[in-house]
Amino acid sequence: MKQTYGLVAAFDTTADLYHACEKVRDAGFSQWDAITSFPIHGLDAAMGVRRSHVPRFSLIGGLTGFCTGMSMIWWTGAYEYPLIVGGKPYFSPMFAFPISYELTILFTAFATIIGMFIVNKLPMHYHPVMKAPQFVRASDDRFYIVIEANDPKFNPAQTRALLQQIGGKDIAELEQ
Amino acid sequence: MSAPAISSSSASTAVLANKFLVTGLIGLALTALGLFFANPQALALSYLVGVTYWTTVGIGMLLLVQIHHIVDAGWSTVIRRQFEHGISAFYWLPVLFLPLVICAWMKPGLIWPWMDLAHEIHGGHTVGADPLYIKKSGFLNLHMFTYMTVGFFAVWAWLAFRLRKASFSQDSDGDVKWTFMNRKTAAFGIPLTALALSFAAIYWMKSLEYHWFSTMYGVWFFANCMRAGMAFGVMITYWLYTRGDYKGIFNTNQLHCLTALAFAFVVFWAYVTFSQYFLIWNANVPEETFWYNIREHGDWLWVGMVLLFGHFFVPFLSWLRYRNKAELKPALLVSIWIALIILIDLCYNILPALKNEHDEPLPFISMNLFWVLTSVIGVGGICVWAYLKSFPTTKIIPIRDPRIVESLTHHEATAP
Repeated sequence: MKQTYGLVAAFDTTADLYHACEKVRDAGFSQWDAITSFPIHGLDAAMGVRRSHVPRFSLIGGLTGFCTGMSMIWWTGAYEYPLIVGGKPYFSPMFAFPISYELTILFTAFATIIGMFIVNKLPMHYHPVMKAPQFVRASDDRFYIVIEANDPKFNPAQTRALLQQIGGKDIAELEQ
Repeated sequence: MSAPAISSSSASTAVLANKFLVTGLIGLALTALGLFFANPQALALSYLVGVTYWTTVGIGMLLLVQIHHIVDAGWSTVIRRQFEHGISAFYWLPVLFLPLVICAWMKPGLIWPWMDLAHEIHGGHTVGADPLYIKKSGFLNLHMFTYMTVGFFAVWAWLAFRLRKASFSQDSDGDVKWTFMNRKTAAFGIPLTALALSFAAIYWMKSLEYHWFSTMYGVWFFANCMRAGMAFGVMITYWLYTRGDYKGIFNTNQLHCLTALAFAFVVFWAYVTFSQYFLIWNANVPEETFWYNIREHGDWLWVGMVLLFGHFFVPFLSWLRYRNKAELKPALLVSIWIALIILIDLCYNILPALKNEHDEPLPFISMNLFWVLTSVIGVGGICVWAYLKSFPTTKIIPIRDPRIVESLTHHEATAP
């Protein structure tokens, strides 16, 4: 039993795609995507894509890194093995700062990369659009819109009609 | 249709310019009145804060214009014109600095103690008998100070003149040669500006305690210059946007780029300032630590805390958020805050040179702040007047710059 993943429609120019995206956005779809071989300026706004959530991962990573640095220096120097070095106190945020600062950057970088993978659901070795034979042109001279079947607004007949109405060509059903 | 709008906005600019000129002259007059009431050293140091503050802003703008040209930047073309107007302040700043040079010649040692060889230092010696002075005397003497200061202003004013002339000429003939000329100016101008600003920081501020040394000092001043230039850049943007001049020209993405660069310099300032403190703290050499010991005396400790939290944490944490960088109101508020804190940073570096008979610094919260205020308003009024006087002489943006279209359509990949 084949399950439908969604509908794909092709567009010939970036302008066609851009305006089609605006209409899909205004129709209230949430589970859909535009596929282009290069970035198109302003497409995010045309698709109604909000700002990414990756910075939240970065912030959490940064705070964790800073606290790790501070507590590590305190734990080694003032708690686990108190030792006076260079006449300095057991603990001071002063000399813990360079380490905390480095760890802030390191953990922010890790959290950003990991967050990007999570938000993008990576790694993803298979995607249903790859099965559609006409899809090879996505990396050549065509642009695509894919509306997924799990979108609450999805209806096979009506969605197909919408894609036709906004100028989509070679509309095809994608298998799961 | 648009002709009356332009003339009315240039008329209102002229009115505004006159207001600033009058405010500036009142500020300078009030400062001059201090000659009869105030402690002359306090007055002179307060005035030094005022002149240095606006020089900081000017150097920042001068560097931003040059960095724009040397990296052949695109997005910043629309805002560059305002910095070009801003650096016209360098035609007036030498005049405004002149009273300090006159003071240095008439009363050597009043501001910079090393100018007076008979000046008594801690321990009963005089400056002239101080080995730490004698080693530096080839560098720290009245003649060198004067020539160098003339040199700094000559460099800045000459570069400002070249950059402005080329950019404004391009407005009328659209010749691309002006772009190449500015790129060449920037290529030798950036090192020259960097040297001049480092030595200015050393002569004007660091040498107030001539025993002290810090290799970070020039870099610290540079960081403040860049931050001041960009803070005023955001303020100008806000003014032009709300007045309507920038409608349809300036967009979210250009603002975001400007504040993101300013944000980077928040971190840079913190990095440099912390490094200076940390290295001195860690090495714990009395020749260096005394500078910070003075600044932990009395209310100066709290001024230091205000700098640590206000100059770094407040702008850093607020600008972490995208909205606070990409929207004009929050970007403006943070920029005004930064502009104020830079003034406090300069006070922190200059005013503790004012000591009582026990060699302790006079408190920060005092009558001296009034003279700082009159000086900042006085010098600032003249500098803003210079900007506003230059403003109506050209188009609002360099319309025939090769990069102007790229700048106007500047777009980052994220939707606001």
